Amino acid sequence: MECYSEQVVSIFVDGELAAEEARRLREHLATCRRCRQLLDALRVENHVLSESLQELPEEAAIPDFSPLPWSLAWSDVAVVAAVLALGSFVAGWFDRLSIPEALQWLNPFSVSGRTNLFFNLSYYFAQGGTAMLIDYAAVVGKIFFLLLVGGSALLLGRRWLLREPGLRLLIVLLAVSLPGFALERRHGDFVTVAANETIDDTLVASGNIVRMEGAINGDLVAFGGSVEVRGTVNGDLMTFAKRTAVSGTVKGNIYDFSSSLDLDGQLGHSLYGFVQSLRVNERGHVGEGVLVAAGDFSLEGEVNRSVTIYAGNADVSGSIGRELTMSGENLTLTNTARIGGNLSASVHQLKNVHIADGATITGKRDLQVRVRHSRFARPKFYFYQAVWLAAAMLVGWLGLVLFPGFFQASTHEVGSGWRSFGLGIGVLAGVPVAIIVIAITLVGLPVSFMLLAAYLIAIYLAKLWVGAFLGRLLLKPAGDTKSDWLLGLLVGLLILTIVGFIPYLGGLVRFAVVCLGLGAFAWQLYRVSRPAMTA
Amino acid sequence: MDAERNAAKGPQPREGKATHMEGPDLESVIERAQGHDAEALAEIYRLYARRVFGLCRYMLDSRESAEDATSEVFLKLQRSIESYDGSIPFHKWLLHVAGNQCIDALRHRKRGRQLFVEVEEDVAVLEAANPEPSPLGAVLSKEDRTQVRDAIARLPENYRVPLVLRYYGELSYDEIAQQLGVQKNYVAALLFRAKQELRRRLGHRSL
Repeated sequence: MECYSEQVVSIFVDGELAAEEARRLREHLATCRRCRQLLDALRVENHVLSESLQELPEEAAIPDFSPLPWSLAWSDVAVVAAVLALGSFVAGWFDRLSIPEALQWLNPFSVSGRTNLFFNLSYYFAQGGTAMLIDYAAVVGKIFFLLLVGGSALLLGRRWLLREPGLRLLIVLLAVSLPGFALERRHGDFVTVAANETIDDTLVASGNIVRMEGAINGDLVAFGGSVEVRGTVNGDLMTFAKRTAVSGTVKGNIYDFSSSLDLDGQLGHSLYGFVQSLRVNERGHVGEGVLVAAGDFSLEGEVNRSVTIYAGNADVSGSIGRELTMSGENLTLTNTARIGGNLSASVHQLKNVHIADGATITGKRDLQVRVRHSRFARPKFYFYQAVWLAAAMLVGWLGLVLFPGFFQASTHEVGSGWRSFGLGIGVLAGVPVAIIVIAITLVGLPVSFMLLAAYLIAIYLAKLWVGAFLGRLLLKPAGDTKSDWLLGLLVGLLILTIVGFIPYLGGLVRFAVVCLGLGAFAWQLYRVSRPAMTA
Repeated sequence: MDAERNAAKGPQPREGKATHMEGPDLESVIERAQGHDAEALAEIYRLYARRVFGLCRYMLDSRESAEDATSEVFLKLQRSIESYDGSIPFHKWLLHVAGNQCIDALRHRKRGRQLFVEVEEDVAVLEAANPEPSPLGAVLSKEDRTQVRDAIARLPENYRVPLVLRYYGELSYDEIAQQLGVQKNYVAALLFRAKQELRRRLGHRSL
């Protein structure tokens, strides 16, 4: 009988040969000396291999693991406990302080908002859709782009030196910023700081009613249905509430996001707010200025410096140390009103401005009537548009140089049409919700700011990809070079810019552009990150 | 207990490995570990960390990644040990798990590309007669063992991994095939070629 191959014998030695074949081989071995020798040699070889492998390849063979698994098990438990604690804390907030309720007035789907939804939407589109958002985005985008370019240059220069440390630094910074929010916290249905109580730290309070009668040496951050400050806050006051009333003293600034804010007390520095109704009552005093966007603004007390407001209705009967700048619908100055500087108001109709004869205005009066469409008549408008276009081209060029693959792929992705559009709507609507939710947890405040910046930048970049795609569609360049892409971008942006100014249709187009671009961006991000995730 | 711990540390003959804790002792430790007893898990770690680390060290190319893989294995053990049913010896089962962990790590580095791609002709070629040097002879001295080990460590990944799984991890062809996602035949072929390559590399030495 013919001898077996070495491979078969080898498999036999490993005990892996099929039973029947193994039996035949055994029979053969009994008669074949050559194969027996091979078998023995292979056995010895296996033994050599096992034997040699028993020692580890390095001298210090015993791994010195720290932390050991059982201690890690406890840290696992600790992490889970921390997450649960944080979760219940956050959930507690949601339940008890009814933030959604506090922010209800922002919600277009609320009972009062629903009736206005249709009008709001048509106004929104008539005014250019996402135009305002894009303007914000342009500013934020440019700042970040400078940082990005500077940072990229640094990173490219010292890529290997900085990459990991840079990442670690970021993590450390994030980690360091977190305990900054781990301050004294109180929450409950009814949170009070008693009159005889002094808190030396920053207080984060949340509750249906937050009442502060004592003293806080740090800042007060309050979430609640109703926030009342009757005591003294030596730092800043930041509130997210349905109703905020300050009758005590705030030595720093007030940052307010409330449905209504009443200032009866003393404010050391300035007031910044985004509120439905703001009243500075007779006894209210603002040490510096006021900058607010409000539905109704009423000033009976005193502001030492200037007041800048964007308001539906503004009533001034108190005193303003310097300028009053107002933009909105109605402005009323009563007999007791006193303005130390200029009065500038921008309204739709002059008859909506009422200035009583007794009102004192030390500086000039500048009343402007905003007429729509007038912007097309001003040369400045075209200049700004040219700057805007140049800036967009610059951003596009930089993006193409720094991330060529990503920019071009995102441009192609716009072509997927409905997928990009649908995804874009989701991102456009979903991210602000995520930002608010993350911000509410407070721990996530830095994250939420970063997310907001990224959101605005993405909105800004959206038009670049759509523009480039549109240009490509029209020009149909033969190649896929960078200059083709840039030329396409120029043509596309020009068209989008012009179309964007058509009333109503322009708004819809801008909206669609943002959705398409955002969707393409999100999809491309997903695609880029996918291999890393599934690998 | 101390004797067992010491025994686990030093290199020892193959037959001795599974004996540092046997029978009811080991069973009870495993049982307690399955009930999330930290002491028992610690005991298992003490008994097997070295062996698991050895496997990882052979399979992965750096000490760091081997350490990472080892701690991963023991971290996951807290949950995965529940699935151990006693049908195979515990150390084999544990090395099987560790092998999976290392292969995952290798795959991860390849970013999802297949680690082992079967090539038809590979299997076919090996059926042919073998002109390579004869099997390695007995190795006696420590120096010789070091030479063999170093040669194994320097083998290409597709030879090294199955070889280590087989002769260090004591996995069967089927288990290796399953871990690598290839046919059993191909495992046999890889092992055979790995040994041939090893002989070739050590060939000029008279072992």
